[in-house]
Amino acid sequence: MKSTLDKSQAPNALTFSLLRLLTDGKFHSGELLARQLGISRASVSNALRGVESYGLNLYSVRGRGYCLNNPPQWLDAECIVAQMGERGKNFRIEVLDCADSSNTLLLQRAKPDIANGGAPGGTVLAVEWQSGGRGRLGRTWHSGLGNALTFSLLWRFGCGLSSLSGLSLAAGVALIRALRVLGIQSAQLKWPNDVLGNGGKFAGILIEAQGDVLGPSAVVIGIGLNLSLQQQVLRRIGQPVSSLADMLADASAVPERNHLLAVILPELEDVLQDFTVNGFAALRAEWQNYHGFQDQPVQLLLPDGSRVAGIVRGVADDGALELETMHEIRRFNVGEVSLRGAEHAAA
Amino acid sequence: MDLRKLKTLIELVESSGIAELEISEGEERVRITRSPSSMLQQVYAAPQQQMVAAPAPQLAPAAPAEPVKEVQPEGHAVKSPMVGSFYRCSSPGAKSFVEVGQSVSVGDTLCIIEAMKLLNEIESDKAGVIKAVLVENGQPVEYGQPLFIIG
Repeated sequence: MKSTLDKSQAPNALTFSLLRLLTDGKFHSGELLARQLGISRASVSNALRGVESYGLNLYSVRGRGYCLNNPPQWLDAECIVAQMGERGKNFRIEVLDCADSSNTLLLQRAKPDIANGGAPGGTVLAVEWQSGGRGRLGRTWHSGLGNALTFSLLWRFGCGLSSLSGLSLAAGVALIRALRVLGIQSAQLKWPNDVLGNGGKFAGILIEAQGDVLGPSAVVIGIGLNLSLQQQVLRRIGQPVSSLADMLADASAVPERNHLLAVILPELEDVLQDFTVNGFAALRAEWQNYHGFQDQPVQLLLPDGSRVAGIVRGVADDGALELETMHEIRRFNVGEVSLRGAEHAAA
Repeated sequence: MDLRKLKTLIELVESSGIAELEISEGEERVRITRSPSSMLQQVYAAPQQQMVAAPAPQLAPAAPAEPVKEVQPEGHAVKSPMVGSFYRCSSPGAKSFVEVGQSVSVGDTLCIIEAMKLLNEIESDKAGVIKAVLVENGQPVEYGQPLFIIG
């Protein structure tokens, strides 16, 4: 499927400024917008051209100007911190209009240089438009402007990389807990940490770690979550997807993004602290409770292209998938799980 | 031909990317062949090159034929701290973090090992030159498996 949008077409700073002025959902004349930003009317028209491809509905009416239907709720660091109360002190939140990948950027900031020891644990980068968001194997995470929450959290561990096994599953547990706080009970996990609901994936987690084998290590947890999906965006995605809106009887009850992040961050902090002391073993039973495919026949696609069929019996203390095959229970650290019988539909 | 010279030649073949190099010097002849496709099963023992030293045919009785031997460059082995999949670059199509012949400092990223959607940047624990990359991109690695040789 050909993408109509690539990262060279990410909205520029001017487009963001204009869209923010249009957030009230009322008509604004091109002339007034131009004056507010000190630019020409032609620049206004240019900057707003093609914003539909970001999942927005912009009306342009001769004589009245521009109006943004269903304007996005912009991320606001102060608002997020305020909603977390005391817990807000443990995070440093920064909102960016555009980034290639918040994970990559945060990883760079985490690296100590001569001047300082790198960004502190608890640093959060939330991004309005992620152009090169990385999924596993370089798959791109797609989101429409304002329709998804994409952010990265930096966490520092005293232990080394080899002790971090299972961390990505732990992050999935935090996400499910946050959704339950928000009243969304039906979300499930797929190994290792996709979040599923209403027949598709609606949130993904990708963790990148750097550091010494023996410690310390810096970990960046990247999370992308769909709040709602629009047709323009759906066309760019090649797999079954869903969104929070799909899981709620009342689509207008979709949580506001700043609130969502304010609920997720403390849950992540709790899980990460638990993980630091007790490892994934302490979260294993809970993970299995949320597991969408527990005791179901699945097949596992391995990186070399081979497939293993079996029944998922859960996960081990290190997060490895336990698959019961004809002869034995085997453990896997890599692979893509699909329900048996459903793999042809997904392929 | 002394061993140091052979080692230099092997490194030359490695860094240049050519498949085969044959050199005659006086009565000796050396052929170095790269066989990257056949190395999957032998990653522990054999790096990317095999060396065959053959005597010149006209002097067959005088020069004893050297047995075929596999040469692993000497140096510090960077081992995998975990079980997972080995990746030489950050995303498909991207430039590899390191190539054979490249100088690295302590803390430079050498590769990524992925396990359960956790991408671990493996950093160099030694400064030097990459002498060999012992695992192919995308292959599974075991705990403690040597990944790179740094000399």
